[in-house]
Amino acid sequence: MIGMIIRRFFQLIFLLFGISFLVFSSMYLAPGDPASMIGGPTASESDIEAIRENLGLNEPFLTQYASYVGGLVQGDLGYSYQTRQSVSEAIAVRLPNTLKLAIASMIVAIIIGILAGLISALKHNSWLDVGSTTFALAGISIPNFWMGAVLILVFAVNLQWLPVGGMSSPWYTIEGMKELILPAITLGTGAAAMIARMTRSSMLEVIRADYVRTARAKGVKESSVIWIHTLKNAMIPVLTVIGVNFGSLLGGTIITEKVFAINGVGRLMIDAIAARDFPMVQGSVLLVATLFVLVNLIVDIVYTYVDPRIKYQ
Amino acid sequence: MKKKLLAIISIATLLFLAACSGGNESSSAGEGSDTNDQGIESFTYASLTDAVGLSPILTNDSASANVTDHVYEKLFERNAETMEIEPQLAESYENPDENTWIIKLKQGVKFHDGTDFNADAVKYTFDKLRDPATAAPRASLMEPVDTITVVDDYTVEIKTKYPYGPFLASLSHSNAAIVSPEADQNGDINKDPVGTGPFKFVSWVPGDQVVLEANKDYRDGAPAIQKLIFKVVPEISTAISMLQTGEVQFIDKLPTEQIERVEGLKNVNVEKVDGTPQYYFTVNHSKEEFQDAELREALASAIDRDAFISKMKGLGIRSDSVIGSKVFGYKEEADNAGTPYDLEKAKELVKKNGYDKKTYTLLSPNRNNFILMSEVVQAQLTEAGFNVNIESMEWASFLDTARDGNYDMTFLSWSNLTADGSELFYPNFHSDNVGASNRAQYSNPEFDQLVEQSRTTTDQEKRLEILDQANRLMLEDHAIVNMYHDVVTAAMENSYKGLILEPTGKWNLSEVTRK
Repeated sequence: MIGMIIRRFFQLIFLLFGISFLVFSSMYLAPGDPASMIGGPTASESDIEAIRENLGLNEPFLTQYASYVGGLVQGDLGYSYQTRQSVSEAIAVRLPNTLKLAIASMIVAIIIGILAGLISALKHNSWLDVGSTTFALAGISIPNFWMGAVLILVFAVNLQWLPVGGMSSPWYTIEGMKELILPAITLGTGAAAMIARMTRSSMLEVIRADYVRTARAKGVKESSVIWIHTLKNAMIPVLTVIGVNFGSLLGGTIITEKVFAINGVGRLMIDAIAARDFPMVQGSVLLVATLFVLVNLIVDIVYTYVDPRIKYQ
Repeated sequence: MKKKLLAIISIATLLFLAACSGGNESSSAGEGSDTNDQGIESFTYASLTDAVGLSPILTNDSASANVTDHVYEKLFERNAETMEIEPQLAESYENPDENTWIIKLKQGVKFHDGTDFNADAVKYTFDKLRDPATAAPRASLMEPVDTITVVDDYTVEIKTKYPYGPFLASLSHSNAAIVSPEADQNGDINKDPVGTGPFKFVSWVPGDQVVLEANKDYRDGAPAIQKLIFKVVPEISTAISMLQTGEVQFIDKLPTEQIERVEGLKNVNVEKVDGTPQYYFTVNHSKEEFQDAELREALASAIDRDAFISKMKGLGIRSDSVIGSKVFGYKEEADNAGTPYDLEKAKELVKKNGYDKKTYTLLSPNRNNFILMSEVVQAQLTEAGFNVNIESMEWASFLDTARDGNYDMTFLSWSNLTADGSELFYPNFHSDNVGASNRAQYSNPEFDQLVEQSRTTTDQEKRLEILDQANRLMLEDHAIVNMYHDVVTAAMENSYKGLILEPTGKWNLSEVTRK
């Protein structure tokens, strides 16, 4: 197990270099000049040239990349072209919000997803099953921005139960939780739908397995058959879906962050791309990639607990 | 297992209910609306973008300027109503000759760090702004400046390299605000700004909010707003909902598609002012085919501006004039001096010259009213017989593509922050700036000469005449088609008054009080 973890960390380092090169070169080749974005449409050619010189944008591609990687190996993510502030600081301010949102959404997704999937599988072909699969389809199909806007109109504007947006209170306070509810539901329903579908199909498969029939034949209580013999084994593919979805949630919070005015990494990344703020784009992409790899590593470790047959050499 | 799951579900439900039921008052009353006898405890503005920085020297975007305009002051400012330039930190000025500006400064003004505002601070700020090592985005404001000399503590002499007519307009620009030299030398004013303005800096969480507090020692009296918050809310519909629920008290730049919703809110006043920003259609003047005056005339005749403006729900002003009504150099007669809409004439020219044999690309950024504009104009040009394809792209790519002249026709815009015609014509249409800010690639020696004259003449009456001539020359040349001049908008909770909304789209909250 420890060997596997160490190996994964080495893979992560190579992966991050690969990603940094890809992102750096794609931003370099993409149309749009960071200096004109800083100067704005009103800046003169000499203003733009001075900015370009100041940022080192006139250097050849490899020199720029080497200087970036040089900083990276020393743990320096560089400075934003736009704000001239440290990329690590900018990310550090926003990361807790994105994590809060992703975790809260995952909780929503797991609760709704597993419950819906279970009900659907246990009441196979009933109206509950139809309702649950319809919910799953709707969850996948409804775009986040629309769902967010509707939730805001209903719960924040009309009922005034919850705030419209923002995320400035600590999560463990009432205010903090109120701020999290609508964004977590918006972001969580898509993942919930996928978890529900996977739970349903996995449960249906396991419930027909020989050992479940044997358990029933032995006279084991139906509840024990479901919870102990079936659910635990059906959870392995569901865990994969949860892991992949959590990774996507970390990188896919952009729209929800925008709609709910949450100061997160997703918004930082999309604003940086629009402003051609290369160091900021690099920093946030590397962060999301690292988190994605870590989440998958955690999922792999959890496998061994859920299914003792799985062992890592 | 079952019990555990049930427990988890119960806790989650309880948390949800507790969160929904507890403390409703704050979302309805809002975090920033409470008041006392002395003033407004806090007041929140929802900003669509975050400030890039808080130093006027290092920034050039409207979100940053909204903050810096409340923290710093300039030597001069434009009066929002009369559009005349008036002294702010300056007391008076005189021109002993065309190249010399002797500016007397107000005495007894202090920066928020307690240091004196004086001639040294002015020299320090302007020298830093024009120093190439600073790489200031608006260093060009100081481009005409030759020397800056401190005559005495409260007098500064600025010599320009050539007579420069719009100099006071440059000095009234947000990016020419005066910073505290001591704060700049000993700290980072881009993060921790120190000016002389009505509000002092308190904190900034990048991406989230900037907080300012009233400057109790402000020379014209402390503002009523005790705590002024600039909260980043990137989605305009969310910002409007927040205004409706009282989470914020003020928003600006209302888009056409949302104006009716905001006007329908009972707790909100919408303010509108004829503005300086403008949007125009242009051909790529560097292409050989567009040297054909009849082609330009056919295009201009085919574009029905009234039809487009009727879709703007009152947020567009119809005028042919390149110089808008709030910009120096405007004359009312220019309103109808452009190529009139004449579909039959356009059709005739298209047929006569075979313009329908070619397909043209209409380049458009994919934001704001540009999308609507390109769709309407494409339909109108098609009606006249042209074949037009829209090429839409995001802003950064658009700016570069247009700058490099890789298009047939496009839409461009200009915010006219200095509200001076020379500052519109020189960057946008003078041949010096082809391949840079002159994205229309327009080059006309006669026009260039007029623009240069307008810049190097200090007699404002003469400048007005010259700018009008340049304006008419462009219109006679069918050089561009002005689609509309903007109506700038803002919406404030209607229990407040005293908002100053400027035609440039900038605003000032220092005089806001409870009704």
